[in-house]
Amino acid sequence: MDVALAALSELFEPLRLFALLMGVLAGMVFGMLPGLGGVAAVSIMLPFVFLFDNYAGLALLLGAISVVYTSDTITSVLLGAPGSPASAPTAIEGHAMAKRGEAATALGLGFLASMVGGLVGAITLALAIPVAGPIVLALGTPELLMFAMVGLYFASSMIGRDLAVGLAAGCLGLLIGTIGPAPAAANFRFTFGQAYLLDGLSLTIVALGLFAVPEIISMLSGGGGISAKKQVVSNWSAGFSEFWKSRWLILRSALIGTFGGFVPAVGANASTWVAYGHAMRSTKDKSRFGKGEPRGVAAAEGANNATVISDLVPTLLFSVPGGPAAAIFLGALFSFGFYPGPRMVTEEPVLLYLIVWSVALASIVGAAICFAITPMVAQLTRIRFALIAAPLMLVMIAGAYQATQSMGDIAMLLLLGVIGWIMKQAEWPRAPILVGFVLAKPVEQYFWLTTQIHGWTWLARPGVLLIASFIVFPLLWRGWTIWREKRGSGETVKNDDIATPPAVEPAGTSAARLAMAGLGVLIFGYALFEVTGFRANARLLPLLAIVPGLALAIFVLVREMRRFLSHRDLFHVEAKSDYPIIALLLGYAFGIALVGFQLATAAFLLLVLIRFAGMRLLGATLYAAVLFLGINGLFTLMRITPPEGILIASLF
Amino acid sequence: MTRESTYIAPVAAALAVAATLGATPAAAQHSFAGQTIEVVVPFAPGGATDVAARFLEKFLERHLEGNPNIEVTNRPGGGSILGANWFQQNAEPNGQTILFTTSSTANPYVLGQPEVEYDLAAMRMAYGLPFGSVTYVSKGTGIETPADFVNAEEPLIYGGIAAAASDLPTLLSFEVLGADVRSVLGFTGRGPIRLAFERGETNVDFQFTPVYMTQVAATVESGDAVALMTGGSMDENGRLVARDPAVPDLPSVYEVYVDVFGEEPSGVEWDAYQAMGALTLAYGLTAYLHPDTSDEIVAAFADAVGRINADPEFIEEGQQVVGGYAMTSPADAEAALKAALQPSDEVRSYLINLLGEKFGVQF
Repeated sequence: MDVALAALSELFEPLRLFALLMGVLAGMVFGMLPGLGGVAAVSIMLPFVFLFDNYAGLALLLGAISVVYTSDTITSVLLGAPGSPASAPTAIEGHAMAKRGEAATALGLGFLASMVGGLVGAITLALAIPVAGPIVLALGTPELLMFAMVGLYFASSMIGRDLAVGLAAGCLGLLIGTIGPAPAAANFRFTFGQAYLLDGLSLTIVALGLFAVPEIISMLSGGGGISAKKQVVSNWSAGFSEFWKSRWLILRSALIGTFGGFVPAVGANASTWVAYGHAMRSTKDKSRFGKGEPRGVAAAEGANNATVISDLVPTLLFSVPGGPAAAIFLGALFSFGFYPGPRMVTEEPVLLYLIVWSVALASIVGAAICFAITPMVAQLTRIRFALIAAPLMLVMIAGAYQATQSMGDIAMLLLLGVIGWIMKQAEWPRAPILVGFVLAKPVEQYFWLTTQIHGWTWLARPGVLLIASFIVFPLLWRGWTIWREKRGSGETVKNDDIATPPAVEPAGTSAARLAMAGLGVLIFGYALFEVTGFRANARLLPLLAIVPGLALAIFVLVREMRRFLSHRDLFHVEAKSDYPIIALLLGYAFGIALVGFQLATAAFLLLVLIRFAGMRLLGATLYAAVLFLGINGLFTLMRITPPEGILIASLF
Repeated sequence: MTRESTYIAPVAAALAVAATLGATPAAAQHSFAGQTIEVVVPFAPGGATDVAARFLEKFLERHLEGNPNIEVTNRPGGGSILGANWFQQNAEPNGQTILFTTSSTANPYVLGQPEVEYDLAAMRMAYGLPFGSVTYVSKGTGIETPADFVNAEEPLIYGGIAAAASDLPTLLSFEVLGADVRSVLGFTGRGPIRLAFERGETNVDFQFTPVYMTQVAATVESGDAVALMTGGSMDENGRLVARDPAVPDLPSVYEVYVDVFGEEPSGVEWDAYQAMGALTLAYGLTAYLHPDTSDEIVAAFADAVGRINADPEFIEEGQQVVGGYAMTSPADAEAALKAALQPSDEVRSYLINLLGEKFGVQF
């Protein structure tokens, strides 16, 4: 206790508070920019860290990483483009709420849930500092494997009503997750001889491509604001009451997030989905999920903010960073002469509590600032969308390009963007892809490590059984209630369990539905052909995705073909007005590859602003110049050179 | 700590003298005044290579002729291949772009991985920092000496990342010694491997010396782990046989072999160990320059290395950050580095065969 108070008084030096606040402000900005999150914030702040003393420098970084998952709520809700990959569930539910005119509710709920998540994480760490070490050590590879399996099980609730399509999407995600090195046998899979694919795909690019690019496309073609209704973001009372209704769910989600953060490599992304799945399972009326269910926002935001601090636990106690942002934080600790390890608890208790206080304080201040600035940000949603879409697209390109700084990043972003757009039109759920992608690596890696180290005895470990009970008990409970109700009142209850009237089967089909089913068959079919060349160890997980995926994709394709043949008159091509925009984006990518980022961007901005936003030449030129300078400033801050074109490069 | 800090000063002094002697008086001094040198790290920020590159930043700025501005940039991806490919295509022979990397870049080059577009053996060397490695076992194995390890009855489990990565020299040392160790590969990093060791899931592990000294040494002192040997460091003939100056109490792999078998190690296993050990340990962190870089520029880096090694601040801070090793000068090491990057066909085919047959690596 004395140490905790000593740490608090250390933090309340004006310069340290100032550093924390600066960090919070930077973290808020990067949280809001899609594709740029904690990693970008921390690596941009890193050079400034050394302007301060050690505690202030660390406070600067902690402020930045603590609020990224708070402010990303704004982008996710208002634009539907996830501010960071871990807030994809918020983009699904919160944006649907915003479209109904409930943006204020979604935002207020999201901020409060984020704040509680951060506080719960901080309190848990403060209480758990003495025992956190043993907890991390108790999580052996079998427990981590079981944790990933629980994640997959919870993810299955996200499949939606069209079972075949949802499962196929999940399989596609798993398959995309196997691109790159196989953990079991040093095999590179599905890399097509491209060095770009050797490490697999970046989560940021997958999340941006699937969720954010399709939103940009419809923003540009829609022309108008986000919601048909005017967004009134000044009355927070509905948000508070939703928050109070979901308070226990938020607490449980924060604990899920805290626990997930302990696990290196699972961290924020997986635990957010686990919490979202948990929200679905614990909600009676599941039909509202995907269409703007506040409980989805509450769970996701409670969980992702709680991971911030628990991510630092393996970093501080074992010098094993939980994620890239934690790795940079570790580097900063080294430079200040702190050497994280088991002795940290006894040697640097003030530092540990200082971290706890910084995160707690930043969570509260971050949420407060979010409440304060949101009415202003919401004004943006009333101006013409093309005006926001243009800078957003630039920021996303910068965010994607940060991954490896090669054209592959931009090409992959747009390729996945087009697939995401087709899925959106075809009403394939996109959440299962992202979940499959996030969990494919840990599931496969921990499965091989576990079976190699422990054989099959791992199934009997107490930790594994404890974690498995998260799956088994709800299943048993459900089975028991169904059995009891069946005995009690005959057959009628069965309908009640489904809760919603069965979906109206669409009679006809559409171009996107046919295209997506066909694309699925092609991808899985090709992967099946490619997988025959792999070693047995490297083949297992891809096959687990391909075999059911291919069968489901063929089933969906046949179903859509029959619908087409039986109702030719109902066949339609969706969103034809989006085609010029897709062509524009692809043209932009080719332009970057050929003449470089600067020229292509100038042309892209002018075209978008004049053609799609209807600006006049003078205004468009001025606005384009401002955006152009801004994006170049961002590149300079990130110390990244924007891509050069092959034509330009060959001239010099 | 005091014992550890004593070895660096004589080495540093010797290197400084060597650097001064090595520079031909006739050669014009190259100055980087007013220039910016970009140090490309082909890994994400925060990793060991990135930390070392940023640690060296201020010393290079201070000691390179003309006090250039040093800027570290990260180009991660493809297990460092993307950044190295970028360097091959974009660097110019003016000494202003440096590729600072590890065996993660060298191994795919030596093994001929198809995605490699860079010619590492043709490049010039600017400077380097050695890595040391310590192999240790858990108390539960009952092993107390390196000889016990070679003849162990208890099943030994080693955790690693990938056979063709930084695990390679350690795996090869098991081959050289004929130790019966089962390797479980597929971990995401040396940190998680250390955790698995502490949990008792594996019982043989190695860590690079900075991590060993800050994270493992205490466990060894308390008797919960037994340190066996180091990978060794370079002797004056460029063989990886000498004791590691950072952990002088432990024998090198070479000494263990001589001790257990009563003869010098030889054969293709030993040659392979020498080549890959050199790339992973002695030249563990190496800064490369464009192949056509002039001798003057390389000499300017050699001079700077001599001055940095004599800088008391470097000696002091280097203890914790990079294990207290002196920097490697191109004047001494460039030829040996190029030789290690081009092992004989016999060694190469032995490696490819071993990796393919025993560890399932597919090329």
